[in-house]
Amino acid sequence: MSKPMSKKNRAKTWFLVHSWLALPIWFFLLIVCVTGTLAVVSQEIVWLANPEIRASQPDDDAQPLSYGQVLAAIHKERPELAVEWLSSPEESHFALTASVSEPGGGSYRLYINPYSGAIQGVSPTFDFSAFTRALHGWWLVPFTNGYSWGWYLVSLLGLPLLVSLITGLVVYKRFWKGFFTPRLRVTQGARVFWGDFHRLSGIWSIWFIAVISITGTWFLIEALLSDFHISISTEGPPSFVARHEVPITADGLAPPRLGLDQITAIAAEKIPGLEVSFITLPEDAFSHYGIGGRGWYPLMFQTAEINPYTGAVAGANLLSNRSTLEFVTESMRPLHTGDFGGLWIKLIWAFFGLVLSMMVLSGLLIWSKRTVQATANLTRRAQRVKPQHAATIVSEGQP
Amino acid sequence: MSKAIAAPQTTAQRLWHRYRFHLNIAMLAIPLGFMPAYFENAAMFRGTLGLGEREIGEFTVGPWSARVAEWHVGDPEAEGKAGNMKEFAVALCEACLPKVKAAYLRIGKPRNLRTAGALLSGSPYRLMAEVVVPQNTTAASDLWLTVEGWDGSVHHTAIPLANASPSLISWLERQPGARP
Repeated sequence: MSKPMSKKNRAKTWFLVHSWLALPIWFFLLIVCVTGTLAVVSQEIVWLANPEIRASQPDDDAQPLSYGQVLAAIHKERPELAVEWLSSPEESHFALTASVSEPGGGSYRLYINPYSGAIQGVSPTFDFSAFTRALHGWWLVPFTNGYSWGWYLVSLLGLPLLVSLITGLVVYKRFWKGFFTPRLRVTQGARVFWGDFHRLSGIWSIWFIAVISITGTWFLIEALLSDFHISISTEGPPSFVARHEVPITADGLAPPRLGLDQITAIAAEKIPGLEVSFITLPEDAFSHYGIGGRGWYPLMFQTAEINPYTGAVAGANLLSNRSTLEFVTESMRPLHTGDFGGLWIKLIWAFFGLVLSMMVLSGLLIWSKRTVQATANLTRRAQRVKPQHAATIVSEGQP
Repeated sequence: MSKAIAAPQTTAQRLWHRYRFHLNIAMLAIPLGFMPAYFENAAMFRGTLGLGEREIGEFTVGPWSARVAEWHVGDPEAEGKAGNMKEFAVALCEACLPKVKAAYLRIGKPRNLRTAGALLSGSPYRLMAEVVVPQNTTAASDLWLTVEGWDGSVHHTAIPLANASPSLISWLERQPGARP
């Protein structure tokens, strides 16, 4: 084009960009949105399907067992099991989870009643949560060397999603008026209905689409940083128990380790502000107990390492140690998944995830009914420029 | 597609125009294609497929014994400055678990306990370690398993690499400057 684009032509271009953005891969985008929505509430879906992972407080005075009591209960019922970690439920209607392994190498999780210590069940072979997350997060492409290329494929969608949001707001003139005069015409045919639906759900999802596309793009950056071996972490390298700190025994057997309740007591005493919601047991003679949970900032976890023989705090990754950059980057994942504030936040995320999926679908429906025509007209205009014709296209192009 | 769209000029453009929506099918074929591998991997982590992808055998180490397996058959993983890594799984005999302090794996003979190699870690029933593939590894190298007891005793066993990981040998042969 020799002369600068007119305002109308520019709007037309934006509109076409918006229309064509995700089209060749619309179904991929739709499945990613739908599986993402399912992944948000996957634990709740499992909760509905499997009574073994449910647990409720028997009465108002009942106190959950300590980690030491839970471990003792597991060992009493299944003495052969090796316990790797215990994790308290984030929501009170869930059972406590223990990761265990058995002689022969089988490893799985146990669902344990947090009040009685009873083993309620074993994790099924098909892990619905893990599957939906793998499908949504990396399209099931395995991680063989660094990040999976499926991860790149999915996280790249953050960019067209962000551009869709921006171009959508540009072409939807005075979109803020839509908040005050919502319009959803149901009687004027499918094209009008889906158009209204797309705009109405779009403006109410601005915040959500922004959150998902920005955090999704972060996943792309995260993978790039990792694959290029660039670290922004302030966390030191993992610490090990020094050889001279591991006690030597007279009987040739393993020295006793501090119990889980001693470890939690040490953590409570020495690390103020650490709310313990999980504990990992030492993985070998030279590794520490790991202990962690959320702090005052609900989006991030704090962890500490405690020497199993001496009880010394060997390391801690607390909120106060994190850099400002880490506050931003570590908030990205929980903002994407909505798993930082209990059931209600998950339900809000799932609702808007569904709305976003519907926007992909309604966008496609609108496109199939109109954009084909608009593009044809624009191409015709490019071939032989007629001013009146161009004006018609622009008016047709109004969303 | 409407005929009014300008005729694309190049073959690539024409193919893109014609098949761009087939991308959806291609994209959908990816997770379907990887689904068996996903479930196999999940089963491996659950331990229902054995110690690792390829069991190497059971070996005597001093008074004890250990089953050793190659976790994944295939090329080692390039992990930046850490070098190329190959993962193995080890299950010590159940009776020896209370007596064993630590076990290590290394390619090439360790000079002493300090250089015993990668510490095996994780579930006592399936210890795992990522072993560095040193630059001077050849098809004649051995995988050394070192086991240290709580009583202070140290025992070794050497497994020929050709037995421990044929896939690593085939990778070595494909490296530039590989020695026969």
